Amino acid sequence: MSTSTAKSDYLLLFRGNVWDRGLSPAQLQKVVSDWMAWFERLKEEGKCLGGHPLEEEGKVVSGKQGRTIADGPFAESKEAIGGYFYLTVADENEAIEIAKQCPGLEYGSVVEVRPVAEICSVKQRAEEYSRGQLAGATA
Amino acid sequence: MDKVMGSFEGLNERGKIKAAQPLSGQGRILSGGNGNLVVDGPFAESKEAVGGYLVLQADNMNEAVDIARSTPMLKYGITVEVRPLLAECPIFQRHPEFAQRARDRAVRADQLWAAAAA
Repeated sequence: MSTSTAKSDYLLLFRGNVWDRGLSPAQLQKVVSDWMAWFERLKEEGKCLGGHPLEEEGKVVSGKQGRTIADGPFAESKEAIGGYFYLTVADENEAIEIAKQCPGLEYGSVVEVRPVAEICSVKQRAEEYSRGQLAGATA
Repeated sequence: MDKVMGSFEGLNERGKIKAAQPLSGQGRILSGGNGNLVVDGPFAESKEAVGGYLVLQADNMNEAVDIARSTPMLKYGITVEVRPLLAECPIFQRHPEFAQRARDRAVRADQLWAAAAA
């Protein structure tokens, strides 16, 4: 079973958004310029289709009919997602090689590399289930 | 599942969805200097794992939250995180000495997605 798309799209999720605290102005300037240059280069190479930083404020919706709405912020967490890149690359190795170039890694940023799926795993299970039912009914 | 797809199609027809994709349960987590620590997924058995995303074009946070509340999977225990996309990194905002440079080089969200769609 393969859930990856043929053209191998990956999302890089940048986790942790406190890693810049305590860096010297020179370090900050370097890491930020490196990051921008990295992003621009990947786009020029056609390997990155887009990306955004995420605001540290936001909401978390949960519960039946979304009854529970909790406020962010997502600022003070090592787990919080601070932004993402959308990659189109040859394979997972290339996605990992690109992730390794992230300038924030040196300062404790974490990069999650996730294959973009063609269909939702829940939908896939639902379809397998209904196919199974159909096969059972016609047997 | 039909409800989920119906909800999605409805939002799409109203022009609210700019991008959307599920993520595979497999993947890797990189950390450490130079990303030398590589840990395997899967991310399937966790409440915190990200299973997919929608990029919404909403008028404001309230509309985005209303759309999030219409997610049919909420009743089965999923959580939806609603996060505004930024054109400029919050690090710049915390360090105004870089703000002008950030504005000079910021990649606007619309340009990005126009480039992605082209």
